[in-house]
Amino acid sequence: MVELGNFSPEERAAQEERLRKVWKTPGGWRYWTSVNNSEIGLWYGVTAFAFMLFAGLLGLLMRAQLAVPNNDLISSELFNQAFTLHGTVMMFLFAVPIFEAIAIFLLPSMLGARELPFPRLSAFGYWSFLLGGIFVCGSIFFNAAPNAGWFMYPPLATDKEYAGIGADIWLLGLSFIEVASIAAAVEIIVGIMKCRAPGMRINMMPMFAWYLLIVAGMILFAFPPLIAGDILFEMERMFDWPFFDVARGGDPLLWQHLFWIFGHPEVYIIFLPAIALMAMIVPTFSQRPIVGYSWIVLAAVGTGFLSFGLWVHHMFTTGLPQISLAFFSAASEAVAIPTGVQIFVFIATMLAGRVIFSVPMLFGAGGLAIFTIGGLTGVMVALVPFDWQAHDTYFIVAHLHYVIIGGMFFPIVAGIYYYFPFVTGKKLSATWGKTAFWLMFVGFNVGFFPMHFSGLRGMPRRVFTYPEEVGWDLFNMISTIGAFVFAAGVMTFVIDIFRPKPETMERNLNPWNAGTLEWTNDPSESWGMRSVPIITSRYPLWEQPNLQADIEAGRYYLPDAKSGKRETLVTSVLDAEPIQCLRVGGLSYVPMVAALALGGVFIALTFHWWIPTIICAIITFIAIMVWLWTGTAQIPEAEEVDVGLGLKLPVYVSGPASVGWWAMFITMVGDGTAFASLIFGYFFYWTVHVDFTSGAVGPGVSWPMAALALFVVAWLLTIAARQLNEKGPAGCRIALAAGMLVTIAACLAGLAGPYFHGMDPTSNVYPATVWIIAIWTVAHGAVGVIMQAYCLVGSLTGRVTAVYDQDIRNVTLYWHFMAFTAVVAFAVLGLFPMVSA
Amino acid sequence: MPDGGVTGLFQPIPSQRHLSRLCPGLVALLVLPLPSCSGNHSALDPAGPEAANIAQLFFLMLVGAVVIWLGLVASIIYASRKRREHSEESAGRVILWGGAVIPTIILCALLSYGMWLMPAIRPWVPDDHQVRRIEVTGEQFWWRVRYFDEAGKTMFETANEVRIPVGQPAHFSLKAADVIHSFWVPSLGGKMDMIPGRTNPLTLTADREGTYRGVCAEFCGESHALMAFTVRAVAPDEHEAWLAERRASSPQDTEGLAVFLNNGCGACHAISGTAANGRIGPDLTAFGERSTLAAGTLPHTVEDIARFVAYPGVIKPGVKMPHFGMLPEDDIKTIAVFLKELK
Amino acid sequence: MKSVIPREVESLWTLFTAPTVWAVHFVGCYTTVAVYCAKASSLDFGFETVRLLLAGLTILALAVIVLSAWLAWRQWGFGVHDPPHDEPTKKGRTLFQGYATLLLSGLSFVAVVYAAIPLIFIAECQR
Repeated sequence: MVELGNFSPEERAAQEERLRKVWKTPGGWRYWTSVNNSEIGLWYGVTAFAFMLFAGLLGLLMRAQLAVPNNDLISSELFNQAFTLHGTVMMFLFAVPIFEAIAIFLLPSMLGARELPFPRLSAFGYWSFLLGGIFVCGSIFFNAAPNAGWFMYPPLATDKEYAGIGADIWLLGLSFIEVASIAAAVEIIVGIMKCRAPGMRINMMPMFAWYLLIVAGMILFAFPPLIAGDILFEMERMFDWPFFDVARGGDPLLWQHLFWIFGHPEVYIIFLPAIALMAMIVPTFSQRPIVGYSWIVLAAVGTGFLSFGLWVHHMFTTGLPQISLAFFSAASEAVAIPTGVQIFVFIATMLAGRVIFSVPMLFGAGGLAIFTIGGLTGVMVALVPFDWQAHDTYFIVAHLHYVIIGGMFFPIVAGIYYYFPFVTGKKLSATWGKTAFWLMFVGFNVGFFPMHFSGLRGMPRRVFTYPEEVGWDLFNMISTIGAFVFAAGVMTFVIDIFRPKPETMERNLNPWNAGTLEWTNDPSESWGMRSVPIITSRYPLWEQPNLQADIEAGRYYLPDAKSGKRETLVTSVLDAEPIQCLRVGGLSYVPMVAALALGGVFIALTFHWWIPTIICAIITFIAIMVWLWTGTAQIPEAEEVDVGLGLKLPVYVSGPASVGWWAMFITMVGDGTAFASLIFGYFFYWTVHVDFTSGAVGPGVSWPMAALALFVVAWLLTIAARQLNEKGPAGCRIALAAGMLVTIAACLAGLAGPYFHGMDPTSNVYPATVWIIAIWTVAHGAVGVIMQAYCLVGSLTGRVTAVYDQDIRNVTLYWHFMAFTAVVAFAVLGLFPMVSA
Repeated sequence: MPDGGVTGLFQPIPSQRHLSRLCPGLVALLVLPLPSCSGNHSALDPAGPEAANIAQLFFLMLVGAVVIWLGLVASIIYASRKRREHSEESAGRVILWGGAVIPTIILCALLSYGMWLMPAIRPWVPDDHQVRRIEVTGEQFWWRVRYFDEAGKTMFETANEVRIPVGQPAHFSLKAADVIHSFWVPSLGGKMDMIPGRTNPLTLTADREGTYRGVCAEFCGESHALMAFTVRAVAPDEHEAWLAERRASSPQDTEGLAVFLNNGCGACHAISGTAANGRIGPDLTAFGERSTLAAGTLPHTVEDIARFVAYPGVIKPGVKMPHFGMLPEDDIKTIAVFLKELK
Repeated sequence: MKSVIPREVESLWTLFTAPTVWAVHFVGCYTTVAVYCAKASSLDFGFETVRLLLAGLTILALAVIVLSAWLAWRQWGFGVHDPPHDEPTKKGRTLFQGYATLLLSGLSFVAVVYAAIPLIFIAECQR
């Protein structure tokens, strides 16, 4: 056991002064340059919540229209925009971002870190999300909102006459937000793996962290297929490349595959974090540690995997072979098992504890009761024959709202009641909370339960009206009344949050008597942990005596900020042994500028304003370069710093020990998934056609093989540069320069195949697919050149040296993926036509 | 074993064993006030074996779901109100049995039942001319229906109304002309999507005579809500007689037809035996036989026909047919009467 | 039995072995039937062959999962120690990993068995 630090009151005051200065959030308009996790998390949460209220209003508008048959309150045009936006906004602008918000806000405190490893990336994600969200939501006020459903099925959504600019707004606006989600996923994974308090081994991690780790991993595999789909879709809309046009060999089902490979994991991506909140709340109010910690890990990991085997259950009626459907039915039933385990873990914890039934528990238990109904109807619709009837009816509308509102919205509200004191230092009112709960609970069930019946009695989804004589009017009237009662409950809750609250008398950091680390934080200070403690328990506040006082007295790690920089600890993945003192980014305009400029690219593309697109792209590029150059891999003033308790840790590490290396690895996994989706598309077209080239010429063999070989050489040169760098700069520089030339040659060779064979991408889906894969690979090659150039400049300016070689190591890692991409891409393009012929 | 595995050991239930005998109370609750002029329209009031099997499956799962849900809510309430804490070991056993083992067994049984049911209710039908198919094509926002003869050649075309013989399987070939639609007759069975570039087969059997309402179940544009159709199940000999009657085109020559043709209606609509041979819009041969107008949107009356001819886009937003409100009122009236009486 | 795999596998990745096997099995089943059903007319073997092939794949997958479960059981000390495994030691962490891996192997086993059920009941591509 290490000796804890001991400081006099004067020393402590001086430390606190320095810490406060370093972590200070500026006032005035410079407030918005803040990157601190507590600010970003709060902005994220409030913005997502505002979008939710907006989408909720759209829902009420639809319910008002459907209250009586043959209603003409709103036009079909507006109705179709409203339901499309309702689904889109709830999913992309509320459900996913709210969990990112909660994660960014809570994770550092839960893990005992000062900050997540890439605060500027969080800020970048937030500004992207805000801009993209406003762009997508605002469209409805110009009668230009997407109107083909949140699933955007072509050919309806590719029909320019019907879908107009709305589909572009959807595609580009959401692609932008997907980028933000992947940024958040990188942040969360690296944060959980590398930034835990010393001693917090993986069997000590709070449940929330386990869930979020899995969820962030799921994002990496779920969002990229949609991004790939978006690319294909936008190429069709913008340049008439016929990916989904049947007349030219395309197939609308490919979009459905790509969309639902994203879409089903998405349901679990939003559900698991909410359950994670429950896993924090239930032990607190049962006054004991969770029973079945390992079972929760089973449930989280199991759900994460199985959720990728469900996507075709959204396609049970598309006429795929029954045997194919059956596999997805099997996985859809299997996923009910881990979900059941999660629920029983809560019941078991309550059984073994003394339950205090407060407002968060009320929302939690109510949500569980609702969610279970959704889960049970989910088991029903997972069975193919029943889904043939229920699919695309109000039965599904009922099912999905039971799942999402019970499994996600109620737990989120529970979480807000639970964590409100953590954010503001004050509890919300129990009276208001109970009123809100009962209005929401009763309103929800009255509103959505009858939809099971209207659905089975034949009411399809997405209808703006219905005839009188089919007998759906009573159910719909009840549903509308219930929806408004539910909305009244939500309003009660919102008013409770914003109404002025009386000043509390005593300072109580841990009002619920919780056991987890985040409750040691003082919301009035922006440094997070006063000092980073050593953890020896899953519930340190219950089981480590005097922990709170010791943390506040600065007796643990990093009690000071002598360097004047924001510092946090990096620890090892499994056993959380301290390995680095990480300096994280502070206040900066750069993330905001980069996000706004990137947003400009997407918005300008929507309107086909090519020149503004290029200008914004250049600004984005410059901003990112400035960000990297001034904010990452800074050479420190000293090799090691004293982090307290007699421990000295390095400030600069490179390779797999560094957080940057992990971020690159994780990003490239997501990138690889998007690439895999494009390759999936190539083979998908092969299966649906007798002759997938439909007689068109291919890119030949020689050019793709040349490109493949050149990319491999460029990869070897990059590796050589990294190796040579350890000996001295000269060899490294030569290798990098040669690598750049070879990469440029490789890119040209990659494009030469389809170009010299005169492949016209608008003529048929085969040339279009070849071009898109070639362009994807070449674009990655171009990024590879920029990275090589960045390292070369770094080496010339003394930023990259034999010791400080983080940049070149990360670039080499990129190049491993790059080489893999190139080999697969050009082998498929060049060789597969021969094999299949 | 063309219909697969152990399927031969069991047979799916015939729909005659009516469900209301299985769980009368529930059925009464769910199917309460039903019949209507446009026909039956409920998955819980089956009129064919596929729908009957699925409804039975639903009621079985419903009973199970109610029991499980009550048990779960009871245990939550018990766990929060109990006098003394249970030991961690016994709570752990609750997870093992309640969360893992029992669900695994129940789901395994349910999944096996569902897998067995799939090929049983939608058996494989060879795709050759031995099987007389009815081709239905979804278009924005109506249904083109084609009947074929034994040689696989088109006998005649109609729209928005399908006639099938009772007790015999009706084999549909489902196509889409523009965007994705979905063909769904809840009383007879599950739905099947209509996807451009693909032909999806579906076999439905009605074992009661009657009129069954169907709808488009996949969002297909502005008037997706106004895209219904009717299935009429009639006695087999009556069906044969109808087919024969429809094959023999009877020339028409009335004043109404002249107005119809003079105003160019024939450019988009066909009436067999006349000069009207347009293929863009619904075939109007024997239009007077149909029970609804504009794909189940309006009742089949002269006034409504006139209203629709004058302002189709008002009644059905996004429809391709232009407004004919500029025609003299008399012409519209004449056309409406002509169409209403077209047999 | 002397094993080549060290008793305490120092990695987080072992946790994911069994679910990964499920994923491989699942993707294998799906792509096999998808390609077979799309290209059946140009292939000279029947669906029976596909079923046998996938039955073989299933047995293989189950075997790998059982092996992973056994390794996990060994890492867990053959069930001598009871959960919750919250000791702040490397030993506690290893036991936790073993136990969680064992549980996940169980779930993956069930999921693979579920995925094989369709092969019993459906004997055609069945469009």
